Amino acid sequence: MIPELGLIFLIISTVSALILSFIPLYASYSKNSYLFSYVKPLTALMTVSISTSILCLLISFLVDDFSVAYVANHSNTQLATLYKVAAVWGSHEGSMLFWVVSIAIWGCLIVFSSRYQDPLFVGRMIAILAFVIAGFNLFMLFTSNPFARLLPNFPIEGRDLNPILQDIGLIFHPPMLFLGYVGLTITFAAAIAALLGGKFTQQHASYLRPWVLMAWVFLTGGNAFGSWWAYNELGWGGWWFWDPVENASFIPWLVATALLHSVVLSQHRSSFKVTTLLLCLLAFSLSLLGTFLVRSGIVQSVHAFASDPTRGMSILSLLGVFVCGALTLFALKGNLIKSKSDFSLISRDSFILLGNIVLVVAAISVLLGTFYPLLFELLNLGTLSVGAPYFNSMFVPLTFVAVLLMGAAPLIKWQKQSLKPLKPLLYLLATAVAIGIIVALQTRDGFNPWVFIGATAAAWVILTLGYLVFSLRQQGTAIIAKKVAMMIAHLGVAVTIIGATAVSNFESQELLRMGPGQGKEVAGYTFVYEDTVDVETNSYTAIQANIRVMDSDENDIGYITPQRQTFKTNAMETTQAGIMRNLVRDLYVSSGQQLSETEYLVRISHKPLACWIWIGGLMMMFGGSIAAFSGLYSLRRTQAASQTVQHRVNTDKALQAKELA
Amino acid sequence: MSKTYTSTLVRLLAGLAILLCISMSAQAASDKIHYTPDQIRDLGFEIAHELRCPMSVNQNLFDSGAPIASELKGQIFLMLEQGESKAEIIDFLVQRYGEKIRYQPSFSAATALLWFGPILLLLGIVGVAAALIREQRKHQDTNGNTYE
Repeated sequence: MIPELGLIFLIISTVSALILSFIPLYASYSKNSYLFSYVKPLTALMTVSISTSILCLLISFLVDDFSVAYVANHSNTQLATLYKVAAVWGSHEGSMLFWVVSIAIWGCLIVFSSRYQDPLFVGRMIAILAFVIAGFNLFMLFTSNPFARLLPNFPIEGRDLNPILQDIGLIFHPPMLFLGYVGLTITFAAAIAALLGGKFTQQHASYLRPWVLMAWVFLTGGNAFGSWWAYNELGWGGWWFWDPVENASFIPWLVATALLHSVVLSQHRSSFKVTTLLLCLLAFSLSLLGTFLVRSGIVQSVHAFASDPTRGMSILSLLGVFVCGALTLFALKGNLIKSKSDFSLISRDSFILLGNIVLVVAAISVLLGTFYPLLFELLNLGTLSVGAPYFNSMFVPLTFVAVLLMGAAPLIKWQKQSLKPLKPLLYLLATAVAIGIIVALQTRDGFNPWVFIGATAAAWVILTLGYLVFSLRQQGTAIIAKKVAMMIAHLGVAVTIIGATAVSNFESQELLRMGPGQGKEVAGYTFVYEDTVDVETNSYTAIQANIRVMDSDENDIGYITPQRQTFKTNAMETTQAGIMRNLVRDLYVSSGQQLSETEYLVRISHKPLACWIWIGGLMMMFGGSIAAFSGLYSLRRTQAASQTVQHRVNTDKALQAKELA
Repeated sequence: MSKTYTSTLVRLLAGLAILLCISMSAQAASDKIHYTPDQIRDLGFEIAHELRCPMSVNQNLFDSGAPIASELKGQIFLMLEQGESKAEIIDFLVQRYGEKIRYQPSFSAATALLWFGPILLLLGIVGVAAALIREQRKHQDTNGNTYE
């Protein structure tokens, strides 16, 4: 009964979304303001029904209704309740539903908020959102219905949630990523609404900015948690693999980063409006392309969803409809959007513009590297792999340029900057380069260019931020929330760069055969393999190695316990690395295949500053959140101010009327 | 381009490549490198990071736990101990397992776009942006700064 209800609500929301996607457009076309009064109730109907639908799916999971195929395939009675909840978005069908529900709720909040004082713009926007929702819903109904039943012979016990996904990472990583994609959907709808109206004012940009920021914060979180999960759970020792599926979520992040800076230009300086709109369209299209890559099964990856060619075709046609429609509209109406461009070459405007170009080029080169093997095979040129060495050699130099611009931009004036006051910047740059050279000389093989790039970039950001704080205080300017947000996020980038550079270039590792009683010294720490024990939990059995760790003074500092887990439900084997962390280093041990009766292939790594990678990610998220909330707050304030003015005008009018009477 | 012409070209190129290989291996045979144990470990890890495991999904040889990966890692260390260079070892494995094993695709006409695409794109976008801005500014100067 519950799953049928879920399906019916899904259909109701599809129908209301279809209606909603025409009404505001027709109303604005025919100048019929009465029709506009339908927008709010229809939005509410769509949102409530789709939310009820996902609630039905959740209930089916919680009561172990294995007659629902999706539940039977991804849950069983033994699964912990938390993972049952997470399983709702743990695979293809449910995650689509989650995505649509989030779009609907976010759109609903916008429609019912009093912040947005342009009903025509909001009306057009919700029409586009409803169109996207209708598209996704039809896709679900026709090819991937989450409520499909296994009747009459339904299983008594379900299968298991993919065991490597049973981790705290799964609870955060996918929903954050989807919310990021949802944010990009919102900005896409806003861009289309602006194009339909033929204007994109500074007010529209101030609406757009918090949405872009929130989308960016979620995408940052999604990527950071994803890499955290891969680091802990896959047992391969790395934190970023340039895997096609990782790239699929990283490319939209890069474009969203460019978008978020472009929107600042549009709001603050009324410039680069067309660029902002184009980036909105690009970011959304790339997130859909990523979805296609992940769900169609055209690439091999451990992260990929179960593949199905019909799904791939449907996503591709959705992508075609949205992107072609959007680009056609852009071609027709783009020329109506007028921007100012009154800045000189040395100005904050031009630095941000250049930085954005570099970010977009970085995104496109990652895209190129990800799709090249596919195209190569499609054109019958043979097979090849594009992996980490290629991506690093493209991405690191581009990031370096972007970071140089990022450090300088906040210190340069808008519009036009005379060269003379920039002298301190040159000193700072020289200092950063000197630091870079000194650090790069610390590596084993003399001068390491990668270390030089990383260290110089990080030093440059930190120095310029310090100088910014110093000069702001000297001028006695109040440091506003938005500035603080920017500083925290930029500092986060520096912290991540430090972590990544340290781990990639100063890691010490050993790969060796180890059994009870044997020891090995790595980077001053001694690792002693004490014994192998069997461990059993609800969902898996594991062979666990107990490895004692001593520091350079032979003091015990604890045990590291890597496991080889075998899941009971599907006999799948996974590696759980053992990690001992602190702020300056991670000690990482993973246990591989069995080599003899007592010996295993063991991998021991000393990873300096590893956790800085994710601390930097958290700082970026924190900075982004402050900026988003301060944007929302100032929107509310201007709206309140305009209401007070309105109120005063009204009372004045009333008084005048009285006087006249 | 006619088929015979292409095949002649391919044959010519292949011949050249073989000649190059022979001359390189002859040169290498004359001066084998002698590595210290530390160098062998670092270089071996480096090579293992740049090659794809033939068996597991999207993992490099170093990370992969598949039996074939261990075997190939052993092979790499063996060849290093015999004094072979990094390029020789990678060439040997590419010959055995095909171009797909290499995570860093070699440079050729077919991969030129991959290697030069990003830089060309960067120059292209910067050029177009500069031209657009100049155009816009010219427009503004004649009409005054009255755009919103």
